[in-house]
Amino acid sequence: MIQSASLLESWTQENNQLASGCKLSPHVFLLLCLSLSGIPPHLDRAQLELSVVYNTCVCFTAQSQFDEAELLLTQTAQRLLQIAGDDPGTSDPSVLWRTALKSVTGTALHRRVLSLLCLQWGVWLAKSRLTAVQDFQEMSLLEAQSGAVWNDCRAETKEKISNIPILVLDPRRLVDLLKICTAIVQGAERLTEGWSVLSALQAASASPAPRALIAYTHLLSGSCLAHMNRPQMALQCYRKALETDPRCVCALYQSALIYSRLENSQAEIQALRILHSMLLLPSTTEPAMAAGRLLSPSLFLCSQSLSSLLSVPSALSVLHSLALKCVIHSRVSEGVECYLDLLAALQSEDQHGVRVHAVVSTLPKLPRLYLEAGAALLMARRPADCMALCDEVIGSTLDLLPEKVLLEDPVARRVAGSGEVTEEAENGLVRLLWTAAAYLLQGHCYSQLKDWKQAVTHYTRCINLLVKVHYKDTDKDPEQGVDLCVLQRLKGLSLAGRGISFAQIDRLREALRDLQLSRQAHPEGVSARRWYGEVLWRLDRKQEAAACWEQTWSNPIPSLSEALPVYAQELQSGPLLDSAELHQKLQELGPT
Amino acid sequence: MEKLSSDDSNRNVHGLSHGGKILLFTCKRDPAVSVRERSGLTFRSFYFEREGNAFLNATEGATVISRKPSAHVDIVTCKCAVDVQKRVKTAFVLVTKMSEKGSSFKYSLLALRSSHRLEPCIEFKLPYQMKGKVSILQGPTVMWSHDNSVSYTSPEAEGVRKIPIQMSKCLFGELPIQKGQLFALGLSEPLLANHSPTLGYLCEGGQAFDGSLVLPHPYICITQCMRVLTADRVDDVLRCTVVAATSNQQLVLFENGTVKDTCEVPFGQAEDIQMADTGRNGCLFVVSFNQGHVCAVWKETFQMASCWSDVDSAHVDDFLGCGTEQILLIFRNNGISSGPLEKFIITDLCGISYSVRLLQLLQAILIKLPVMDNTVSNKTPPKKTCFSVVKALKHRRQAYLLRKTHSSLFSDEESNDETPDDKLHETPALSSRPKIDKLWHRITEDCVAFSGLSLLTEPGQNSTPAVIQTRSQVFWLPARGPSTPTLSSPSPGFAFSEPAAKRSRQHIASDDFSAGRLAVTAVTKLAPLLTSGCVKCRAMLHYAEKAEAPLLQNPQIKTDEVREDLLSLLTVLDNWVLRIDSPDYSLGDIDGWIKRREGFKKIDVSPEYLLLDSPGSSAPMLLRWHQINPFQGDLSIHSSQLQMLQFLDSMLSYLPDSCFIQPVKRARSQSTAQKLACALEKERKERRAGHGETPDSGSAEDLVRCCREAWQQNVEKSRLRLNPVVDAGRYREMVQSISQVKMDSDLAQLNKLK
Repeated sequence: MIQSASLLESWTQENNQLASGCKLSPHVFLLLCLSLSGIPPHLDRAQLELSVVYNTCVCFTAQSQFDEAELLLTQTAQRLLQIAGDDPGTSDPSVLWRTALKSVTGTALHRRVLSLLCLQWGVWLAKSRLTAVQDFQEMSLLEAQSGAVWNDCRAETKEKISNIPILVLDPRRLVDLLKICTAIVQGAERLTEGWSVLSALQAASASPAPRALIAYTHLLSGSCLAHMNRPQMALQCYRKALETDPRCVCALYQSALIYSRLENSQAEIQALRILHSMLLLPSTTEPAMAAGRLLSPSLFLCSQSLSSLLSVPSALSVLHSLALKCVIHSRVSEGVECYLDLLAALQSEDQHGVRVHAVVSTLPKLPRLYLEAGAALLMARRPADCMALCDEVIGSTLDLLPEKVLLEDPVARRVAGSGEVTEEAENGLVRLLWTAAAYLLQGHCYSQLKDWKQAVTHYTRCINLLVKVHYKDTDKDPEQGVDLCVLQRLKGLSLAGRGISFAQIDRLREALRDLQLSRQAHPEGVSARRWYGEVLWRLDRKQEAAACWEQTWSNPIPSLSEALPVYAQELQSGPLLDSAELHQKLQELGPT
Repeated sequence: MEKLSSDDSNRNVHGLSHGGKILLFTCKRDPAVSVRERSGLTFRSFYFEREGNAFLNATEGATVISRKPSAHVDIVTCKCAVDVQKRVKTAFVLVTKMSEKGSSFKYSLLALRSSHRLEPCIEFKLPYQMKGKVSILQGPTVMWSHDNSVSYTSPEAEGVRKIPIQMSKCLFGELPIQKGQLFALGLSEPLLANHSPTLGYLCEGGQAFDGSLVLPHPYICITQCMRVLTADRVDDVLRCTVVAATSNQQLVLFENGTVKDTCEVPFGQAEDIQMADTGRNGCLFVVSFNQGHVCAVWKETFQMASCWSDVDSAHVDDFLGCGTEQILLIFRNNGISSGPLEKFIITDLCGISYSVRLLQLLQAILIKLPVMDNTVSNKTPPKKTCFSVVKALKHRRQAYLLRKTHSSLFSDEESNDETPDDKLHETPALSSRPKIDKLWHRITEDCVAFSGLSLLTEPGQNSTPAVIQTRSQVFWLPARGPSTPTLSSPSPGFAFSEPAAKRSRQHIASDDFSAGRLAVTAVTKLAPLLTSGCVKCRAMLHYAEKAEAPLLQNPQIKTDEVREDLLSLLTVLDNWVLRIDSPDYSLGDIDGWIKRREGFKKIDVSPEYLLLDSPGSSAPMLLRWHQINPFQGDLSIHSSQLQMLQFLDSMLSYLPDSCFIQPVKRARSQSTAQKLACALEKERKERRAGHGETPDSGSAEDLVRCCREAWQQNVEKSRLRLNPVVDAGRYREMVQSISQVKMDSDLAQLNKLK
């Protein structure tokens, strides 16, 4: 077979040239592939043909052309069966491959067929056909045979280098990659299944694989443990993931979530802080894994649950939650810094006209951010800065305020289904609440500056805005609940603030009235109640005052919560009543 | 291509294009003369008129084929071919007349001489009917295949000739060499051992040639039709370009018997390949398929340009008279037909397009192949850094050898200080003697390893050590539990049950090492020992008895002897410690990989070591893998250098491409041991410096020393004897100076002549 052999040789050479060339694309190989598949299949050429098909399919896969790869693979399996003279009478790939593999058992082709089968596995994995992948694993031929067979591969290449078609990717690396990717995807899909998944992930973490993927196995183990209600073990796994691959920021984010669940606010703040600084590093934003490698693992990791697990909020969102956590957990000065950083970042972004944070939806609206920052500044005793921020809010929203906001009965609204009107009303309400909150904060600022007249003016503005909202307080609709709650809180706080201010300038009647109203609007308000007692005391209604104070001992001013905007909560920024003094007064009263 | 409306048996119409016109041949029984049942052949020629967008009838004619009433006349094929005698391209039509009995078939080739006259050209009789492929080639020659052979006839050939070679799967055609060469191709039958399975045959010369120069072997069986584009004879070797349509729905371009390009076409069963020269826009292959499919493929890019279905026949000619060629596709006329040229397209796919009843021709499908882009580039994986590893190892090896030759002059006391008798009686340790719990030795290749356990050396003890170069090592033995069941009882010193005070006295610097036991090993060449005196010879005989160590036979045994074996092996074998570091790709289960390799067994005495002792390899090999983290680990190899390199080579195929392998300094725990070994050696040297220079006449050491010196002198002498008399460098200098003198004298001579 002199001439035929030379044809084989020239094709082998062509393959080897293409495979060792620097420009690998499926089309480079496709022509050769066409030539080879254009003639009847023969055992002599099968080795070359399978290698060329392998190379072509690897390139197809690398360019996410999975359909093309699968078609070629199926055709090849059919041609293999033609050689063997087998006809399974079906085009079902798994049956085809099973038969094909059986037909070459014990021959030199076995290894090549196995590697093609692996490519088919990769295609299934990439197309998220997990049942097919599972079937494939159950074939389990691979585990037993691959190791032994592939070990000889190198010895063989040495013997006759020129005659062996070069492969663009070592099939063993492909198997390694597919194994760990399968473990990761399956793990992500079945996180809730507990120990079985966990052990599979642990096994995967010991396999040879790129660093990033090893980190993912630890991450998933952590998430699995978190599902199994073992937060401490989960944290250990997340730590391992980070140790393995420092770019695995999602592990850090997941740890922050766990800390939040464990109410370990200090650790959570720490985690968020590190996460934010890591997100600012340019290298972390893109998954720099597998640079220079032919097949990127991301090709095979396209599971929905996995990507949700791997997703991390934008740096700005992280900065915001960090700021909020700091403020809420009484690390006000840090919180203020974070808020200022956040606002600066947003401003520079606006100036450059680039919306870097595409995931901005997790970030609250700008006025709310301003108000939160303002509240933080107020708590940090920087009333001037707070007032500047509030001015910004007022300036941007005041012109857009509705004359009157009428909130319909939620039941009626649902029946009517008139979306537009209510939406407008809601937007109006939101803007109105922002402006009111800005006035409230300004009132707080003036009262902090002991400029009581100005304080009264701003509290009054706030109150005037809030009374524009009309609604039926029949039952609380969960959708509007937060807004209404904020409305009530703002009313209570602004009335209390005005009352206290009045008390400071000895307009006790007005003070008493406002504080009384405040208690009606927001019965939980502690400082309103204490000051109500104080005003009563000054009005010489000591018994009543004592009764009022007695009540307040039982419940101190509640710490800030995440459920409501910070600015709608009691900030302890205004004039405080010394509780020791109050006690003394009560004791004075006691004997009488 | 030539068949038109085959569904109508009465009106068997064949067409061909000739000189910009379409010729239609019809074979019919004339209804007007039905009484006499004359069978005749009519032909009509049509030309295309652009204004009317239609084919107009130019000429008509008829000829009588047979006057016999019942003769069945049929057109076989018609084609334009070069008439060699007249040197003009002529239209030919081959008709057949079946005899009444049906036993013989009469064929006649008619030539259209002028525009209206058909003349008979060749007439021949066959005992069979032509059923396979029939071609009218230049000459005119009629060529057909029948029953695994190719036959042809022409005016020159005088009768029907059969190609004298038995072939299966015949193909035939003509080579466009200056004088047309008709050829046939096929698989030779029977298959000859050292011949190409593809056989070619040139009809005119009557010579056979290697057919794979035209079509490679695998393609012969699947080629349905082919066309030789160019052919040339260079140094009597045929060089040609061929385009062939295969049954696997491909059009393949061959150059000198190798595949040059491939184009997938949507149909199988090709019947004809024509070529259309569209002028500036290049050439097109027009491939006609069975069942009325036609496909056009650009010659330059070898990509499909267009394809049509429901085509009755395809012709290539300059129908418009514009100087370039166009394709004429005549479509089937399924409905009520008024003429054979009702539905057609004339196109060159570059701008010229004439057609009739366009709307009805929508079934002419246009398929365009996707444009291939090869934009994405991918780099090849980085080459393995095998070379640098080898270099690093070499370097390390050299350093090691240096160290070996310079530093260690540690003698093995027991082999020199004691007489063999002492040794045999192995007395319990005396306070004045070195304290050795246990002593053992092993012989591997040409080395002997000694080892003592809990070796004590006190200054001033005994006399000078002998000058035997050894390599010594100190190993830490893991602190062992009280006593394992497998432990043999007659080795009390080995058990770890001695009182602490006694042990601390035994060790030098024992404070540091009191936690573990210490094994000091030494290895030396056997040859000096053999030459150092007859005393030693006896010992050697004794050693020879225990050639095979139990460890090598069965690593699963857990005895002290095996432990000694292991330590001896560790001493004898060269040692490399390699740090394997793979920063972005985890290493996986290296330990498992080593264990899966053939011949590697775990040593039960010391499970972290793996032993390879395959019968094929010369020396045993010990491996220890210590994984630091998933991306890093240390591999200790105890073996010969060659084995180590072989092992590393196979390991590189398992390791990720991006990993680094570097020799490392010994691990910390070992380096302490190394320090101790150095200290021991140094002490030995000092003692030798103190005592050794004054020979105690008559003592065993002195004897040994004298013997060794004599032996060394002998060795030196023999070395000198082997050396050349004159030093090579000096010799070269001498020769150079001589030639210089010669040259100078020659020059002087020349000058004189001038």
